[in-house]
Amino acid sequence: MDKMKIFAGILLFGSLWGFSESIIGSALSEVGLPAGAIMTGFFALTFLVISRMTYKQPGMQLGMGVIAGTLRLFNPFASCHICSALAIMAEGAIFEIIWYNISFDFKELKPIIIQMSMGILTSYLIYVGGYILTQILTPIVSGPGFYFENLIAMIPNIFSSGLLPALIGAVVLPATILIKKVDFSLKDRLYYPTTIGISLLCWSIVIGSWFLITV
Amino acid sequence: MIFGKEKIIPILAISVLLLGIFSALYVNATQISKETITINGNEYTITYLFSICKKVTIQTDEGEKTGISFDEMITKVGVGCPSCHNYIIKAEDKYQQTYTWEVLKTGVLTDYSRAYFPNTAHTFWIRNVVEIEVK
Repeated sequence: MDKMKIFAGILLFGSLWGFSESIIGSALSEVGLPAGAIMTGFFALTFLVISRMTYKQPGMQLGMGVIAGTLRLFNPFASCHICSALAIMAEGAIFEIIWYNISFDFKELKPIIIQMSMGILTSYLIYVGGYILTQILTPIVSGPGFYFENLIAMIPNIFSSGLLPALIGAVVLPATILIKKVDFSLKDRLYYPTTIGISLLCWSIVIGSWFLITV
Repeated sequence: MIFGKEKIIPILAISVLLLGIFSALYVNATQISKETITINGNEYTITYLFSICKKVTIQTDEGEKTGISFDEMITKVGVGCPSCHNYIIKAEDKYQQTYTWEVLKTGVLTDYSRAYFPNTAHTFWIRNVVEIEVK
């Protein structure tokens, strides 16, 4: 596939992911819903899997994590931007590792039980991995330093918190695969204007909100 | 190869589910629910701590928070040389964070046992404080 086309895809899906984390995630948190679990189990997993199935390009999800994390830096509604941003980038990297051995025709994912299992595994591991990374990086970046004993004490808490995203992932991944069977490919002449236009819209809304609130 | 993945993927998925379930059960079983806060090995009620310390209000990125300052509280409960120690604040669900005196003295403890610090990430804002360990 054309490299520019892949880069536009990374920009599009990374921007959608970052926009969701910044705007929708903050709104969910505001109304008292478990935003982190919903963001990972639903939004992150959907964008990561759709992009993987559409472009069949290893490394792309890592790039999406970098784009989404960078956009998350401008989130006006939450603190410790750098930590959340790094956690999102880590989620992209962990996804790449988990899906490394899955073939690009996804023949392993045909049985529904495998789809559900991959949804559970992927959501659980990217959520728990991102959580652990945040607990390590936050005290280093914006606090009095990292203490290993704190992480050890919190491990049962962290492991249990991955349960909800795992259960969401068990439903979301089969649903995403089902939806992806509907062909929504764009005509070539519409591809770049659409991908770049949607990406710009995501960035404009997040940075515009940041500008309105902080300046 | 495919046959292998068909078996391994569900086994791994069940494993992480069991890990999550048993961790949740462990967290629930070991959760400490008590009316007092342990500070440096001694038990104090929130009411008592509020009776010996003045209420102060700090400004955070989530607005104003009112409580008693850790600065005054640590001194009033008799911790010698407060700046010589680090402090671990522990929550009832085992969540915990370590603070230097420079950070701790900027924070407040509210009457609903929540610790707020004005210049730190929310990771350091602890709900349902049950213990402050002096290291």
